[in-house]
Amino acid sequence: MRRAVLIARAELALMFRSHVALIGVIALLLLSAIAAATSQAHMAQERFSRLANQTQTDALFEAQPARHPHRMVHYGSYVYRPIGPLAGFEPGIDPFSGTTLYLEGHRQNSATISAVRENSSLMRFGQLTPAFVLQTLAPLLLIFLGFSMITREHMRGSLRLLLTTGVTPRDLILGKSLALGLVGLIALAPAWLALLMMAIAEPSEAGAAALMALGYGLYVLIWVFGIVAASALAQSGQAALLSLIGIWCFIAIVAPRGAAELAGRLEPLETRAATDLMIQAELRQLGDSHNPDDPFFAAFKARTLAQYGVTKIEDLPFNFRGAVSAEGEALTSRLFDKYFVELATTQRTQSQIVSLVSIASPAIAVRRISMAGAGTDLETHLRFLQQSEAHRFAMVQYLNRLHRDKLSQADDAARSKDPLAEQRTRIAADNWAKVPDFAFKPTSAKERMLAAIAPILTLAFWLASVMVLAGWSARVLRARAL
Amino acid sequence: MGGQGLDLRDLVVKRGNRNVLEGLSLTVPAGQIYALLGGNGAGKSTALFAALGLLPVTSGQALVDGKDPAHQPEAVRASIAYLPETVALYEHLSARENVDYFLSLAGQIRTKAQIEEAFAQVRLAPAVHDQRLSAFSKGMRQKTAIALALLRQTPVLLLDEPTTGLDPQATQDFHTLLLELKSTGVAILMVTHDLLGAIDVADTIGLMIDGKLASQWHARNSIPRFDLQGLYAAFTHARIGNTSA
Repeated sequence: MRRAVLIARAELALMFRSHVALIGVIALLLLSAIAAATSQAHMAQERFSRLANQTQTDALFEAQPARHPHRMVHYGSYVYRPIGPLAGFEPGIDPFSGTTLYLEGHRQNSATISAVRENSSLMRFGQLTPAFVLQTLAPLLLIFLGFSMITREHMRGSLRLLLTTGVTPRDLILGKSLALGLVGLIALAPAWLALLMMAIAEPSEAGAAALMALGYGLYVLIWVFGIVAASALAQSGQAALLSLIGIWCFIAIVAPRGAAELAGRLEPLETRAATDLMIQAELRQLGDSHNPDDPFFAAFKARTLAQYGVTKIEDLPFNFRGAVSAEGEALTSRLFDKYFVELATTQRTQSQIVSLVSIASPAIAVRRISMAGAGTDLETHLRFLQQSEAHRFAMVQYLNRLHRDKLSQADDAARSKDPLAEQRTRIAADNWAKVPDFAFKPTSAKERMLAAIAPILTLAFWLASVMVLAGWSARVLRARAL
Repeated sequence: MGGQGLDLRDLVVKRGNRNVLEGLSLTVPAGQIYALLGGNGAGKSTALFAALGLLPVTSGQALVDGKDPAHQPEAVRASIAYLPETVALYEHLSARENVDYFLSLAGQIRTKAQIEEAFAQVRLAPAVHDQRLSAFSKGMRQKTAIALALLRQTPVLLLDEPTTGLDPQATQDFHTLLLELKSTGVAILMVTHDLLGAIDVADTIGLMIDGKLASQWHARNSIPRFDLQGLYAAFTHARIGNTSA
């Protein structure tokens, strides 16, 4: 170990005396720090903006004047997906998925307003985040700093000299890995610091933040040992560099996109337009819940009349129109739920396919840890859609109950012709404030940590494999010395 | 310094299906210089690698100060200093840092005064001790490497084409140093193409052909020290033979 430390010190001296290496490390450090700061600031602004929008939307809803409750069903409301404390580190699918939902009766709208759609085209090339810097750029810098670490020794003949001083190939591999690992640690430092600050600001997130830090630590170590092994195995620096750039392209660029493409082909997802058409077709078969005499609701009408022992709806102790609206909403919601389950199942299957491909790319595994830890993954988005739909249904049914219980049937039937009846169908504005506010319950830190265990194990497997490869590469070094 | 010197006994080394060394035997007693000559591919460097323990020996034995590299690699590396053909010290380190580094790797601590003394011995000007090697000439690099070899204070020194690329004055200085080292009891095995240099400093000259020691000449106590005509004829024949092969 003493010799490995000496070798690491000499390698670091070379890196820091070589201006190119020093500039590279400083550039990555700055990039990482800028990414951490800007991403955190961007997310803080976005968090504030969504919270402000939600507060304003709720206030506007509650400020509506006395109205017919069904008009409030159509007035609707907006919900905004809140941003978790660690999303500044890893925005995940947040910039691509919609973050805002318009909730109204009879319809389940798609999430809209995503950063990619709302911002300039530059956003489509990816936001500069600590996660992006670590997943994509840091390995590239490590490759440039490390590809010739060992090829340089055998091409210049110093390998032979080192071996004659008692240095073993294992010492050399370990020493070079220590030096490159230290550079990796420097590259990780701003990101780890950002995670630490986020964890201090939100102690409940400390476990998830620690798991993310561990994931990135493993990821960087995989690159460190992989680069040193490649440098030991390659015949020349040029061969090592070309091989490593090829591997980087595959791991960081091709595999993640290829995995998504593969998942899309194996488990195709209907387009939103096609799904909407299918939903519309099924909705038409459900009848018009605005019309209490629609033949589709005849059975419901007969059942209700029988339940209350009356022969006509005017004798019911409530407004039958409101009851039909509530029944119609329950039926359409069941239909929406059916399509949501299909969508979620397909998306989860796609996600599982991508997870399987992570065996071929540690970049996918670290991204999964990052997104799960930060709560910016598919599960969080589906949870938001699910809870938004539950909130929409509860809000609409609350208004339908007001329609059913607080409005007389006669006034309701006559309101389009009789202005006085119309006035009487308006109910007090204080009822709107009784609609519960949307409170998104994100996945708990514990659940997110559990979701990150499988990709952590994948990274541990990768690390063990590259360490074995590095150990094996030590065997060929003695032959390289000749 | 003294010691048991270097003893190669009937060494056979295979690389693939080819015998690179075929029963090489030679002895370098303490305080003597052995110059090993031969054409390209004769097996001279392979003999050094076998002594260093970098190559596994198929049969026979190499003994470095009485120790076999196959069984006591660490002890052998502590007893042997090696000067490669191309000085492979680090260009980003100064002469002093290079020496410090390789001595530390070998587990040897030397004082600043000892290092200064070694630099003085190899005639490396004090002004350049803290300059990076990237600014050094080949001769200055060679001097740094020799200073390192001196500081290692090993009983055996292996030199691979040590004067290649050196100017006549630097070569002369180098030979003077070798003789100084020899006088301290170091056993020196020098692989070289430089017949005249070998005649100047060696106690024994060996000629290798196809992995074997074809001829061997011992220095006489008279001038000239060697049978120059015989040596030149054998050496030229060996080189022509090797080229035609």
